[in-house]
Amino acid sequence: MTATSVEALPAVNEVQRPPRRLAAPLWVAALLLLLTFLVIYPLLMLVFGALSDSNPIVDGFGAFKPSAKHFLEVLANPNVHLAFFNALAACGGGTILAVVIGLAFSWIVVRTNTPFKGFIAGASMIPLFVPPLVAGVAWGILGSPKTGLLNTALKWMNIDFRFDFYSMSGLIIVFGIYYAPYVYMFTASALKNMDPSLEEASEVAGASAFTTIFTITFPLIAPAILAGSLLSFVVMLGIYGVPAALGAPANINVLTTYIFKLTAWSPPLYNTAAAVAILLMAVTAILVWAQQRLLSGRSFATVAGKAFRPRSLNLGKWRWFTFGLALTYLFVVVVLPTLALIIAAFRKFLFIKDFDALFDMKQYSWVHFNSVFDNPLTMLSIWNTLKVGALTAVVGGALAFAIGYTVNRTNVAGRKSIDMLATLPIAIPGLVVGVAYLWAWIGLPGGLYGTLWILALAFVARFMPDTVKALSTSFMQIHKELEEAAWICGRGLLGTIRTIVLPLARPGVVASMTLLFVLAVRELGSSLFLYTSDTTVMAVLLLDYYEGGNVGKTAAFSLVQTLILAVLLGFTTWLSRDAAQGSARVG
Amino acid sequence: MQRRTMTATAIGLALGLAALPAMAQNEFGSKELIAAAEKEGALTYYTANFAETEQEVIKEFNKRFPKIKVSMVRAPGGQLITRIKTEAAAGKLGADVVNHSDRGLMLELADLFQDYAPPNAADYRPDALVSPKLWPGVTLGWAIAYNTALVKNAPKTWMDLTKPEYKNKMIGQVVAPSGGTTWTRSMFERQVLGEDYWKKQAELGIAMYPSGAPLSDALVRGEVTIAPLLYNIIYTKIVEGAPAEAIFAPEGVPIIPYADGITKTAKSPNAAKLFMNWRLSKEGQAFQIAKLGNITSLKDPPAFPKGWDPKVIKVWVPNFEQFEKLRAPWVEEWNKTYGYRQ
Repeated sequence: MTATSVEALPAVNEVQRPPRRLAAPLWVAALLLLLTFLVIYPLLMLVFGALSDSNPIVDGFGAFKPSAKHFLEVLANPNVHLAFFNALAACGGGTILAVVIGLAFSWIVVRTNTPFKGFIAGASMIPLFVPPLVAGVAWGILGSPKTGLLNTALKWMNIDFRFDFYSMSGLIIVFGIYYAPYVYMFTASALKNMDPSLEEASEVAGASAFTTIFTITFPLIAPAILAGSLLSFVVMLGIYGVPAALGAPANINVLTTYIFKLTAWSPPLYNTAAAVAILLMAVTAILVWAQQRLLSGRSFATVAGKAFRPRSLNLGKWRWFTFGLALTYLFVVVVLPTLALIIAAFRKFLFIKDFDALFDMKQYSWVHFNSVFDNPLTMLSIWNTLKVGALTAVVGGALAFAIGYTVNRTNVAGRKSIDMLATLPIAIPGLVVGVAYLWAWIGLPGGLYGTLWILALAFVARFMPDTVKALSTSFMQIHKELEEAAWICGRGLLGTIRTIVLPLARPGVVASMTLLFVLAVRELGSSLFLYTSDTTVMAVLLLDYYEGGNVGKTAAFSLVQTLILAVLLGFTTWLSRDAAQGSARVG
Repeated sequence: MQRRTMTATAIGLALGLAALPAMAQNEFGSKELIAAAEKEGALTYYTANFAETEQEVIKEFNKRFPKIKVSMVRAPGGQLITRIKTEAAAGKLGADVVNHSDRGLMLELADLFQDYAPPNAADYRPDALVSPKLWPGVTLGWAIAYNTALVKNAPKTWMDLTKPEYKNKMIGQVVAPSGGTTWTRSMFERQVLGEDYWKKQAELGIAMYPSGAPLSDALVRGEVTIAPLLYNIIYTKIVEGAPAEAIFAPEGVPIIPYADGITKTAKSPNAAKLFMNWRLSKEGQAFQIAKLGNITSLKDPPAFPKGWDPKVIKVWVPNFEQFEKLRAPWVEEWNKTYGYRQ
């Protein structure tokens, strides 16, 4: 950090800027205006939809006759109650599992001398890149009570036990293992940035490693744990693919599958779907409010101006135990479903009579890959997806940084409103948000509709809460004293951001932009309404394959998608390693 | 409606006679139309059908008319309708041609479509049309499919699907509220097979699926062993060698004629017309029957699917009025009978 401070010394010709008297309100106004366009305006369309029977574009605003009919219908419908409680149970259980796994993992990777940590860290992020639909399909192939590969293997081994992933516990397990990376991302960066002197003090005072973890380490990164679990809970609430693939065969409905039904029926009931979506938003609002109540008035700054070295705990022989634990997780969450996908992608048909039939090599070929790449839309969709992903990551990353900084590091009036607006889109399910964007933006003059930009903007808006929350954690941990030092040294605000905040928050920024890219690549719901024949994206094509009943092609195409994302992951890991080395040098 | 169709047919016939030497030309449209279409060179096609199937159709069309590029936008039924409505209201409807299975919903949008009739208009069954503007470019039919590796005693009739030997989730069904195609099947079951057909079948214990595609996949995998399926969904899998077979039952084959039209705002109206003409022509329909497992709404089918004996098998087209009127109450009853939570 000393090097940073030296860097922060004023250049000779740098003039001390006057306090930002006029700039601040202008800046806040600009952000609010942008958020209004990205969030409020589409959201108003949604409320409009929920409170009426009309489509604001087709029928015009004149036809708006507000009524609480849909709300009352939704609130009185016993199927909605059931879907609501199912969603709470599946996502609640899933979150608990995700926190246990994510936290354990980040501790193993950041704080212990477990062997092959880099590999574990990289591989444990893979589930994040798997589209939910694919995860659901993969676990259906593995864990179906009748034909699941796991059960076929158990039968072959003469074991009587059978898995049944077409159940609530199946949903919870799949949610938990797939959304653990969310918790991991938050907690790992918090652990990395934490000053270990407090832990050392605890150990000096005679506390065991175990006591230290639970009384010092985890409480210190509480904001990260809370943010991670809240985010994973809310993201799970909005997931359609997993409950569609695993819940449907057991007739288990959650809110998203219910909403999907409403939008897919003939005629589609968007107005009712909008009402259900508002219900979802209310739940989220309560959760966000609770999180803020819990965290308000406390300081979680653990990255101070003092230099420290990242500390790692010597586990002795136990490091092989943690290594084994990590390997088991990776086997379950990466190897098994990938194997299922590979089998599905290379096997002509997924009819597997018994375990031996699995090794009948005549059944395997490249046929599904060939037909996927025969399709001219495949390359177009890959190219479009990469472009949209990059646009989303850059625009969304910059906007999230601006919002995160304004909310967390300044005292300007209006920052609370900015924070609230940026958090709003979190629980609107993709399908409903898609139609809200369509309603909101199709009428705008200029050629936005039908371009990749409209997709990118929808993704930026839709994933703003995820990105802002991910970044805020990094901001919360950078002690104010570092910026103050820069100001004292005569740096202006922008100079301070450039030389102090940005370099320190760089792992967080890179992580958020990666997250944004990944989410954009996976996003289906809002794409479905905004893509045109020239701007088709991978997620839309994947749904086409799935809806065509083509597990082979679905699996082949998802492997292609996973590969693309894995390459990206490698690139960003390299970027953040570079950043980490930078800060180690500074330390 | 019929008068217009007749006029269109007369015009079509007249045009056909004028261009008699070039048979291929008059089957799909006049020389002028083809030239104008090729000059436009492209069209945008909105479809609610399976993307892959429709791509095959485009490929085949391009074999005859390689100069016309067809761009496709595909979305599930209800979502496609919402999109069309919204785009149209904003004056940004991108489609030249729309292909949709729900005739009721398309009828509501009839104002968006221009007057159109194919050259062979008179060859189509009148009961397959809901509007003179909308034509059954695609017609699908329900078959009974089964997994050949798992079913020893295969069902031969619709009534067989109520036999106790197929109990305990051996049979899979697409739920009635999933869309127009399954509603057609459910309506057929009740009107033709008997008021108590649903009850008898539901008592066996039925595995329920949200749509046909995952059910066809489940059948091939062996999750279920027997399933009523739209023939085209299982047909391509059978051709590729999947352990499955499908039969047309003697009590009748419920068919779903699509409602396809050319939009009033089409940017390439000639290319759109030519594309529609070709799809509705004998050649286009024969291709869809032979390669995609479709049925046809032509009175005199140019081909039959495998195992279809025209002397035995009757096509069943729902009465459109009843199709609309009975839908909500009957689907609700179906949900209750099968214990499906909507």
